[in-house]
Order: sequence, then structure tokens, then C-alpha cells
Amino acid sequence: MSPAAVDWASLDPPAAEILARYDQRKAAMLPLLHLVQGRVGCIPPEGEQWVSDKTGVAPSHVHEVVTFYTMYRAKAIGRCHIQVCTNLPCVLRGAESVLACLTERLGIDVGQTTPDGTFTLSSVECLCACEIAPMAQVNDRYVGPLDRAAVDRLLEDPTLAPLTPSLSPQGRGREGEGILSRRFSQAGGAWYDAYVADGGYEAAKQALTTMTPQQVIDEVMRANLRGLGGAGFPTGKKWSFIPKSSPKPVYLVVNADEGEPGTFKDRYLLERDPHAVLEGMLIAAYAIGSHKAYIYIRGEYVEAYQRFCRAVEEARARGWVGRGVQGRWEWDVTVHRGAGAYICGEETALLTSLEGGKGFPRLKPPFPAISGLFASPTIVNNVETLASVPPIIRRGAAWFAGLGTPKQGGMRLFSLCGHVERPGIYEASAGVTLRSLIERAGGVRAGRPLKAVVPGGISAKILTAQEIDVAMDFDSLAAAGTMAGSGGVIVMDDTTCMVKALATAAKFFAHESCGQCSPCREGTGWAYKILSRILRGDGRPGDLDTLLSVAGNMEGKTICVFADAAAWPIQSYIRKFREEFEHHVREGHCDLLSSPVSLSPACPH
Amino acid sequence: MPTLTIDGQQVTVPPGTTIIQAADQLGITIPRYCYHPGLSIAGNCRICLVEVEKAPKLQIACYTPVADGMVVHTGSDKTLKARQEVLEFLLANHPLDCPVCDQAGECELQNYYMDHGRYEARFLEQKVKKSKKATPIGPTVMLDQERCILCSRCVRFTDEISKTSELGIFHRGDHAELDVVPGRALDNAYAGNVVDICPVGALTDRDFRFKARVWYLSSSPSVCPGCSRGCNIEIHYVLDRPYLADGARVMRLKPRYNPAVNQWWMCDEGRYGYKAIDRARLVQPMGRTQGLSPQGTVPSADSVSHPLVWDLAMTEAAQHLQEAQTRNQLGQWGVLPSPQMTNEELFLARQLFQERLGVACDGRVAERPATGDNFLMTADKSPNRRGMAAIFSETTDQKGTVPQGDSPLLAERAAAGELKGLIVFDHDLVALYGEAVARTVAQRVFLIYVGSHDTATSRLAHLVLPSAVYAEKDGTFTNVDGRVQRIVKAFEPLSGARGGLEIVADLARRLGAAFPHTTAAEVFRAIGASVPAFQGLTYETLGAHGAPLATAEAVTV
Repeated sequence: MSPAAVDWASLDPPAAEILARYDQRKAAMLPLLHLVQGRVGCIPPEGEQWVSDKTGVAPSHVHEVVTFYTMYRAKAIGRCHIQVCTNLPCVLRGAESVLACLTERLGIDVGQTTPDGTFTLSSVECLCACEIAPMAQVNDRYVGPLDRAAVDRLLEDPTLAPLTPSLSPQGRGREGEGILSRRFSQAGGAWYDAYVADGGYEAAKQALTTMTPQQVIDEVMRANLRGLGGAGFPTGKKWSFIPKSSPKPVYLVVNADEGEPGTFKDRYLLERDPHAVLEGMLIAAYAIGSHKAYIYIRGEYVEAYQRFCRAVEEARARGWVGRGVQGRWEWDVTVHRGAGAYICGEETALLTSLEGGKGFPRLKPPFPAISGLFASPTIVNNVETLASVPPIIRRGAAWFAGLGTPKQGGMRLFSLCGHVERPGIYEASAGVTLRSLIERAGGVRAGRPLKAVVPGGISAKILTAQEIDVAMDFDSLAAAGTMAGSGGVIVMDDTTCMVKALATAAKFFAHESCGQCSPCREGTGWAYKILSRILRGDGRPGDLDTLLSVAGNMEGKTICVFADAAAWPIQSYIRKFREEFEHHVREGHCDLLSSPVSLSPACPH
Repeated sequence: MPTLTIDGQQVTVPPGTTIIQAADQLGITIPRYCYHPGLSIAGNCRICLVEVEKAPKLQIACYTPVADGMVVHTGSDKTLKARQEVLEFLLANHPLDCPVCDQAGECELQNYYMDHGRYEARFLEQKVKKSKKATPIGPTVMLDQERCILCSRCVRFTDEISKTSELGIFHRGDHAELDVVPGRALDNAYAGNVVDICPVGALTDRDFRFKARVWYLSSSPSVCPGCSRGCNIEIHYVLDRPYLADGARVMRLKPRYNPAVNQWWMCDEGRYGYKAIDRARLVQPMGRTQGLSPQGTVPSADSVSHPLVWDLAMTEAAQHLQEAQTRNQLGQWGVLPSPQMTNEELFLARQLFQERLGVACDGRVAERPATGDNFLMTADKSPNRRGMAAIFSETTDQKGTVPQGDSPLLAERAAAGELKGLIVFDHDLVALYGEAVARTVAQRVFLIYVGSHDTATSRLAHLVLPSAVYAEKDGTFTNVDGRVQRIVKAFEPLSGARGGLEIVADLARRLGAAFPHTTAAEVFRAIGASVPAFQGLTYETLGAHGAPLATAEAVTV
């Protein structure tokens, strides 16, 4: 549809519905832009102006938002948009040959559209479906694992779903075990009736009718529940930071902007057990005194978004969302979609984004509990953290705490990917060892020797094959010099070139830096350029020292910890595999890569 | 109030003060790019990282509030190393095109590099290519994206100060670019300020760029005469390089910080008003007759105007007044003082004409309609109407009358033939009353014009006395809020023009009524002694930022 042909007035009714969901107009920015792009195929200048009029945000700032997020585009593209993930977990499983196959078959380069307007080919950063790597997003659907035959089927009929759907049961833990993944295997997801049949919403009922908010907080505190988004902050303690008497509304914001490469557990929860998340949200809202919750789901998770919306409507129809929940509580939930920016997983960037801005992390203090969403007291919790709350209420803090380590209660959903035999979600006690997790995933593929493991998402410092007897709780991994992070475990076997692995990680950080702070904006790009030069065979003496210095110079110097996260892989890969890096610089290649390589270009956004 | 120690010096500041503000108070300058005291805190450039004892990491001085007992080190090894590192990052993708950059000499990348950088360059990679180099983004501002360090000062200015939001930083990471939103121009009335606050060569002034290297510039503090706000300014001028700008002396104006008036800002109308200083100036006295004119007669307005030497011109002016005095006709003379004049000039004119000669002075003239805004610009496009009102409303002990209320304007009386002589300061009667009225005045009265610029009125006048502009004289203006502010003579009047004080004092001397005070400072002391509104004010008490009239609230305009 050409912008001139757009009947903007026809967008008014859906826009009014969207605006009604938000406490402030500007917060409707991202969904209104999604609405325009869904209708027009892109966001033309008229669309920016229309959104500006609706939100009251200046056109310059609407344009900032459109250019910041990867999912928005100014020009229309082909009917079938194939976005191939080229982040580390997919690269480890052959993403580059998938991309090569696609460029060859389509006769176009990355970033181009076929002359007939059917296909547009892009390479993107992690879509958090590493269990089906190498994978791609085809329009709204996730497809994978991809190989030459799968590509052939895809190109024959992209409208069908000939490939493994993203709800593949592969890789989950054994039936019946665990508390977070127990309903994952139910066909079609755990909808309301199935959830209630399994004891769902009893915890919420118990909390709302028999406990005070403070008792709920105390229970969660005693359970030793730690924030499972990656920081590991004690959840009960965080809740207790909300001022007891605030004249402003208190907000609960759910961080469902899963983006840490190697992690896909929140997607499983959102798609397969949405009511567990929602029940956890209700209990949390009651505990902190919030009557309004926003759940910020990453934009690419279309299926998760749709499923979660359905769960909210189910819950609303059964009296769990809205007025007079159990006669005790009134709350509402707005399901919000992101638009393609890893940084929005940082809690203050998420809030800025939710308020309709670029995903810029905020200066702290104030912390969100004091001044968060709309400058009001706000608790931001991860999906998995909240899904852990109902079992705590139902079965008690002591039981939950006993499942984990002395300082970290409960279970965790570990995402295993890369060179394991059976990539997938594995639920285990927080104190499980890395070795046993890898073994549960079938060990290293084809029985090959293990070379290295990233234990907590791509930001975590790498461990060598000799270091995998470590327990996976926050404190043990911190003591081992790395971090538990998001629980995304990326396994690399002996065929992995560490230079290429690090360059792939560096590409991600350069692509995802929000660009606000000088050290991160310049340092991430600089590190990536050095690494890709080494990979091309143009390394120079001194490059490794420069890399370490650039990493050290951006670490700890910025508003958020993104720069630190970008620095840690550089520091740890080079420190632990220095000889391999030096060989690469010296020889221009290594035995693992037949010839010098260029990485697939990051999205030019 | 918390007391902290910065580099060994103790300072006590109000709670909520940031480290950078406390350091500024001590005269310790912590480098800054994104921080600007007039804008919200962005905290993004990271150049102001300082070491705070007991803090695990370096803290940004622009955002970190002071605490009692805090110990800050702005020159420690850790601080200096961080500063150098941040500079290296900022310069990694910078084009380093200083030789062709107009910001050179006042560029904080250059300055801080020399102070804190000085590292061996080690960035070997391809720099990020950005889309706009030397591209105009509005009538006054040029953008160079490659030089931009994305500090966001200009974006915050257009959001928070001009409230026009033309600018944004688009895209992300190292591809982020400052630009105007597509389809718009940076054309707000305050756009030029973004050039002032840009710490690097990304935003340059289209009017100024490549006119002069900044190290050739001299600077003098002054007050913008463009409207009654009286924004504090610096006049940047060059006297010894006439080839730079066709002989013009003033190269640009910059706003000068005054918390009570304009903070850090000024409007573009005022900023580019400087051009009048060196343009269309009157540079010699002119008269309608050769030698002395027959007293008491009005030469034809169509007669040819001739240059006069100053002595002859002043003699003629004095003789006309003396003649009128002799014939007891001073009551048929009038003076139109101007709100363009300084308080000192107005006071001297009042003393001479109104008090000593008994000539009516009428400050009431029609003004051309103009508009102001709700920020700095006022509708009154003259710098000293408030001062004029204060000085001429206070005269009780005098011979001359102060026409007030609904009494006929002097200019109207002149046109009606009721007057014999009229001395006009600065006003352009043609612009105010129309060509026909002005011509009638010139046919019926002896018209003396004292002013700096060639106007239709100066061309009609029988005697023209060219005067200095604000940059060429000392004095004070009283702004719309009753704040009396000094202007400082940056340079001598153009050859052939004379300061207004000098002209009035000379006339007084020739009329046998020489003043004991002639310099601006002396006259100002005399004002303070005799005009209640100015009581207690001296140049010393005015200082750099001026002071309110003693009766600031009482005087209305």
C-alpha cells in the first residue's frame, strides 16, 4: 500500500483501543508504530506524523524511535521476510551455510529483495530460539532447524509451515519433573482450564484472601527467590523497596524482553504456561500494592504475545484480572510489544522504551522502586521470577528454598544450545553443576570433545572444558569468575574457532549498543572491527592488547552494564584462549577455519 | 549543608548540589561535554568521571550529588586515565579534520586532548561514515555529523529551551546520527544557541564560519540593544585584519551568562543584529548650508547637504539654540530622546535641554509594531525604554515641561508648525509618522538629527550629528524588568562619529553650561545622586550582571 493510499482515519478506532490501554499517551508509541507498519507495510513520514499526533510526542522523537528499533522500517519490503539469525548459537550450528544457501537460491544479498517482490533476506541478531538453531524468522513465524532441504521447502511455499514449529517439544526436561516446566509438554499450551486443573490460581487465592501484602513479601524473601533475568537480586527484598505510602500509583512491569543470546526460557513460559506468569504477576501486584501491570514482550515474540494476550483475556473472563479479584484486589494488565532492541532488557531502558522512547538506560539513582515507569514507584521482574512465585505461596518458602542452594532457592530453566546433542530447556535446581546439565542435554554433539562453555548468556565470561564442575547458582558462578546470568548455556566443541566465536559476540554488542555513552558506543564498534580484521587474516601485532585495553576502558564507565557485558567475553576469551588468538593474528587463519572469513553483515540499521 | 573535599579544598554547598557544581564553585574545572548547567543532565559523554573515595567505581561529576564528608579527586591517576580513555573513544570515529574545521581554537575535543589526551593513536579501523558533512540544517546552522560526539546538548536545547524539538539523534550505536527530523529545518528564533553549546565542530554558525579564526578575536562584554530584554552578550571583534570581512569590525555576538536575564541564551534576531554596527553608518556631520547658517531660518529640505567638520557643526547647533534662547523661543523647541540611548546620555540630555534650557523633551513616540515571545524576545525593540521613563519621569525641579498623557506629541506639534526647532535622537520620523509628516516637519522646523545610522530622517535633517553605536561607548541600559546593566566600549566610534555623551557635553560647553561630569562613570554617579530610581547604584555595584532599579517595581513603562 502506498502511503498516499492509506486511509489514516480507518486507523483511528484501533488506535483509540491502543491508547486506552496506557496510562499516558506517549507509552502507546511502539504499538501505534506496529499498527502503522502492519497496515502500510512500513512507516512512511506520514505515519510518523500520525503517531506524533496521537501520542503528543514531537516528530523528531518519533523518528528517533523508528530508527532506533530494528523492527521498524521506512520502506516496504518483500511479502516474505526471511530473517536469519547470525548470532553465536545459530552460527555454531551452521547459520552461515543457511544464509549462503538462501543468497544463492534467491539470487540476492542480505538486505535485498527479490525483483518480483516476494522475498527479502536479512541477517539478524539472536531471536532467542537457539534450541532450533540454525533458525530464521519468516514474517511472524520462527522456523528451524534449517538445512538445505528445509530452505528448499521454505522457498517453495513460504506461506505454509513446513518447518519445525517453534513449539517443538524437543529439548525439554523429563516429564513431570520440575515446577516451572511441568506444563510445557501439554499440547497447545496450558490454557486456563488445564492450568486450574493443575492447581492454578490457588496460590493467588491463598495470597489475596489469607495473607497481607507484607506476609507475601516475607514469604518470597524467605524462599530465597532471586531475579532470574540475570542479575540475581533477591526478589522479596526488591519488592520491599516500594515506598509504603506513595501518592503515585505503583506499577508492576514484567520484563519479557528476552534477548540474551543463548536464552529462550521466557519464551517457553509465555507460550506454554502463560497463566503461571500471570498468577505470579497478580501475587506480586498484590504484594507491592500495584493496580496496573505492564508486560513488555520482545517484539519478535509474536506467538508469545498472542498467547499471552489470550491468557489475559481468559483470566479476565474468570475474574482474575479486573475489579474485585477474590473480592480483594483490583488490577489490570497491559500486554506490550517491544520492537527489536536487546538493550530494552535492561530494566531502566525497558521503562524508557515503555514510555515511548528510544531504549536508553537511565541514570541511577533513582532506582525504579522509587521512580520508575512514569516517574512512579515500579517493580520490574523477569518472567521466570514471577512464574516461580505461585509455587512459593502454595508450597511454602521453606520447601522452595530447599530446592536450591542456601542463598538461591528454587529451580531454574536453563537454556542449552550450541554443540549439545539435544538443545532445549532443562529445569534444574539452581545448584546443578554445568557438567550435569550438559550431560542431560545429551552431552557434546557426536561425542566430540568439549572446548568451552558460556554459562549464562553471551555476556557471561567463558569457561573452559576444565571448568564445568561448577554449580550454576549465582554465587558459585560469580566465585568462578563468570556469572549465572540468564541461564543460557552455549556449548562449544573442539571444532569451534574462538576468534570467530568472539567476533560473533562482538558483532552482537556493536549492533545492540544503544549509543548513549561514548565508551560503549565507540568501544563496541571498535572491538568488533579489530576482531573481524583478525578474522579476515589482517591481524596485527598489538591487536590483542588493544582489544583488552578497549574492553577494560569501557568496563564500568557507562550508565548501564551493557559495556561491561561487552567487555567480559573479550577479556575471558582472550585470556583463556590467548594462544589461539595469537596464532590467528600471526598466521591470518587457523586450522579450524579453512580460509579467512568475513562475518555476515550485521543489520545495517 | 554538606561539606565535601575536592582536591584537598573544602567546600560547603546546599544539598542536591552535584560534584561538578561544587567544583565549579571552587574554580576547579572538571571537563564536560554533555553537561550544561542550563539543560537537563544526560550523563552520556563520561568525560567528567572522577574518583570519589569509598565509591567502587568512578562517578560522573555532573550527576552525582555531593554528600557530607565526600572526598573527590579530580586529578588522580585513575581520574586522568579515565579522561584519556574517554577522549580516545570520542576521537576514534572523529574525522580529525581540525585544519579545515571552523571550531578549531574553541573546540573542546582539541582543548581536552591537549590537556588530558596526548596518547599514541591506535585506532586503525575504517571510521564510521555518516551522511551529512557541511550540510545546512537551517538558516543559521551548519551540521557536520562526523564531528558530532552525540552529547545531545543541542537536542535537549530544542526540547527544553526553544521547545521546538527539531533535532533528534537517529539510529543507534556507533551509527547514531544527529540530524533535523526529515522535512523540517532548524529555524526557531533561538537556533543559533545550539552552535554556542555544541562543544565540538558539529554545529557551526553559517554566518560566522570561515570569517575569522577565533584566536584573532577580541572580546568585550555588552548588552544586546535589539529589544528591551537586554540579553547579556560578548562582542567578538577584529580590528587589525580589515581583509577578513570587508572591513567590518564585529565578527559575531555570543550570549553572556546572566542568571537574572538571559541565562546562557540569546535570540537569533539579536545575535545577527551586529551587522548594523558596521553598515550604513553616518560618519561625518552634515549641514544644509555652507558655513554658518542664518540663525532662526529653516533651510529648504531640498537644499543640498554638505559635510561639515565637527567644530562647525557643533557651533551651528549651539548658535541655533542660543538664538532661540535670546529670542525667548526655547519653548518652541523640542527634543525627542530615544530609548536607544544609554541612561547616561538620556540624563545628560535631560540636564541640558530640560533643566538648563527649558526645552521640552518628549519620550513618547509611536513605535513600530513588533512582537515578542514568552521567552526572551520582547515587543519593545529598544534597549532602554525603562531607563528613559525613569529618568524623564523624575524631573521635578526644572524649567522645561515633560509632555505627558494625552498632550499632543512633540512630533505632531512640529508638523503643525507650532515649533521652531526639533532635536531628534535616533528616531526615524519617516518610519514612525510617514514621509509626508516628516517632510512637513523638516519644512517647518530646524531639524537636528543625532544618530548613528543613515536613515530617511537623517537625509531630511538640516544638521546631522553622527553618533556612536552601543559597541562604541560606555554606559548602561535599563531592561524591561528594571535591571540596569553596563555596556562597555569595545572599540572607538567609527572615524567621524562621536559618542552621544560627548556630543551633548560639547553642546553644553558651547552654551556656557559645561557639566562637571563627562565620562559615563561620572554621569552615572550623578544619576545615582539625583534620580531616586538609581539611588545607590554605581558601576561597581552593577558588576557584570547589573542590578535592579531601586524602584524597579514602582516604575511602569
